[in-house]
Amino acid sequence: MLLLQNARIASEHSPALREGDVLIVEGKIQEIGTNLAVPEGARVIDARGRVLMPAMFDAHVHFRAPGFENKETITTGSEAAINGGVTGVVMMPNTRPAIDSAAVVAAVLDNAKLRSRIPVYTSGCVTKNREGKELAEIDGMRMLGVQMLTDDGDTTNDPAVLLRAMQYATEFGMFFASHCEVPELAGPRALNEGVMSYRLGIKGSPACAEEIIIDRDIRLARAAGAHIHIQHVSSKLGMETIRWWKSRGDVKVTAEVAPHHLLFTDEHIGDYDTNYKMNPPLRTQADCDALLEGLKEGVFDLIATDHAPHTPYEKAQDFISAPNGITGLDTALVSLYHYFVRPEKFGWDLVVKRYSAEPRRLMGLPVPTIEVGQQAECVLFDTEAETTFTKEFMKSKSQNTPFINQTLQGRVDMVILGTEILLEREQLVVNS
Amino acid sequence: MARKDLLDIASLHREEIEFLLDQSTSFKEQFTSSVKKVPSLEGKSVLMLFYEPSTRTHTSFEVAAKRLSAEVTNFDIAQSSITKGESVRETVETLQAMRTDYIVVRHGRSGLPGMIARLTKASVINAGDGAHAHPTQALLDAFTIREKFPNPVGKKVLIIGDILHSRVARSTSTLLKKLGLDVAYLGPGSLVPKYGPENIRRFTNYEEAMAWAPDVVYLLRVQMERQDVQFFPSLREYHRIYGITNDRLAEIRQRGLYIMHPGPVNRGVELCDAVMDYERSLINNQVENGIAIRMAVLDWLTPGGEAPKSEPTFERSFAQLPHLTA
Repeated sequence: MLLLQNARIASEHSPALREGDVLIVEGKIQEIGTNLAVPEGARVIDARGRVLMPAMFDAHVHFRAPGFENKETITTGSEAAINGGVTGVVMMPNTRPAIDSAAVVAAVLDNAKLRSRIPVYTSGCVTKNREGKELAEIDGMRMLGVQMLTDDGDTTNDPAVLLRAMQYATEFGMFFASHCEVPELAGPRALNEGVMSYRLGIKGSPACAEEIIIDRDIRLARAAGAHIHIQHVSSKLGMETIRWWKSRGDVKVTAEVAPHHLLFTDEHIGDYDTNYKMNPPLRTQADCDALLEGLKEGVFDLIATDHAPHTPYEKAQDFISAPNGITGLDTALVSLYHYFVRPEKFGWDLVVKRYSAEPRRLMGLPVPTIEVGQQAECVLFDTEAETTFTKEFMKSKSQNTPFINQTLQGRVDMVILGTEILLEREQLVVNS
Repeated sequence: MARKDLLDIASLHREEIEFLLDQSTSFKEQFTSSVKKVPSLEGKSVLMLFYEPSTRTHTSFEVAAKRLSAEVTNFDIAQSSITKGESVRETVETLQAMRTDYIVVRHGRSGLPGMIARLTKASVINAGDGAHAHPTQALLDAFTIREKFPNPVGKKVLIIGDILHSRVARSTSTLLKKLGLDVAYLGPGSLVPKYGPENIRRFTNYEEAMAWAPDVVYLLRVQMERQDVQFFPSLREYHRIYGITNDRLAEIRQRGLYIMHPGPVNRGVELCDAVMDYERSLINNQVENGIAIRMAVLDWLTPGGEAPKSEPTFERSFAQLPHLTA
């Protein structure tokens, strides 16, 4: 039994926070009200105005296992999630071996059951070994619970292959997630083509490389009657393409945006800072502004981090040699608060809707809310405290993030999943 | 104004550039004296780390270092193997143990000399990295122009060719602009990026460029090997549209323009044979001046100091962005 007093409760339906006490009994929310009586034996925590919100869900993470456990493991990845207030994730299949068969899915999910304190879901490859040629054994993966098919990290480059896969798998109720980039235009460098790529002397990837595949894959989905989910959109016209297709209403399109694409531009790369190297690349301020507009308008159904850990050694190479990716699970919620909620660019309702509710809806999962009768799956967030993202603070095995050693406003103080308290910061003021 | 490394032109201050150009003048005066050697780098070691083939730049640096009485070591890299950042790091860690004072590095990957500079206490001189920078080339170009135009402010330099892939175009135009010259580009649309520097004029045909009345025509080497997808149909067509043909040379001679080229030249592509005998060709002056400039650079840099951090420098770029300190 846990009584949280003086919380401010967030929901996806209203930007206003509701003040109240919340009583959790056996992992369920039993009562919400003001000045609730303290039941005997209950642990009482004075939240002192902290925000209580449904826990987050990240539909795009790279946990690197199997194959790249030097970068991340299921354990360290899921602990990073908890550290950032996230209680469920969807893994991407670009592991080694790639998650392209029932056998690998089974191995990953068994591993997760043993080593993760939160539910871990996985996507499966569209094609064997993500090579874009032969179809993966899709139904075998579906039988183990895979719903999302993607060759993430790369575009399924042959449109005929993707169309066939869509025609085939849609019948089983599966959907497709696309990493959108024409490889011949993009090249391998993960840098926006523009003033910055010219200055750095590195071949850039033009925004049209993304726009073309966003449009192409939506058209393929429309032709196949499939559901297409567009991953990590980075460009203004990419957003506008999705908006246009959504306005037509004759194809099921969902889309996600990553915090780093809302926050950073290619200018941040400065003198070849590899922490800003990711794929799709950071673009310009006009793109950031358009993505934010798309998020507020609902063009983007969800926020996902594309959490992509790499070792310090790999990232300390020159910009061209260093791998693509930025970690996000430890930092996402705090950065969303610091840069958007606090300066009132959007409210907590957007955070809850886009980073908690909608990603679960995408995956067909129940959506937690702070309401009587619901399972307790929530985060207590202190808007008054700060977080310094030191190496020690972050639970991911890798620290390839520009937020390293930065201090932002806001702190995840408690994460509750059913009967378990997954995280409780030492600093939390507790009344017994 | 002690500096450990020379990695690009953008980070050089005007006074540093003037200082280097002046120093080069005195080093060049030494060339005609009976004793060419000066003892300023006696007991120091210079390591040549060339991951890309280069005869001119490599030799030029070697001669410069030897004239300063430094000991020169060549670290031979198999030209055929593709060298990624990881193995370069290991090499540099090995070299660090050899306690070399200066490392002259050329590599196909932009930004790689900067990575080396962060790993070592030795002074790192960028002798060309990818399409990023070639600072000593820029300095020798400026020096060569200044020999002909002691007050170069307002003089016009037309750079013709592959701007997109050229570290020479980037560094030389950055430097010339810093010295108050006017620079314009001419080249195929696929090789002159639209998003290039805003303050540089772009011409789309030769006649238009000539009407701008340049003082110097600077030809870039056409590099077929950097072109993963074709940027223009053929060398013959390139020569016809952008090359210095006999007819164009006649016009250039009549206008009294200087011609420069970083070398090695592709005869029949950037220029016709006759250009090599043109009285106002500065191509050989550039080679000679390269030695003086590289002597000045080696003499000027200060190895050692704080061991730089090996991690990427995120704090710096992060702190610069006001919209992130919301």
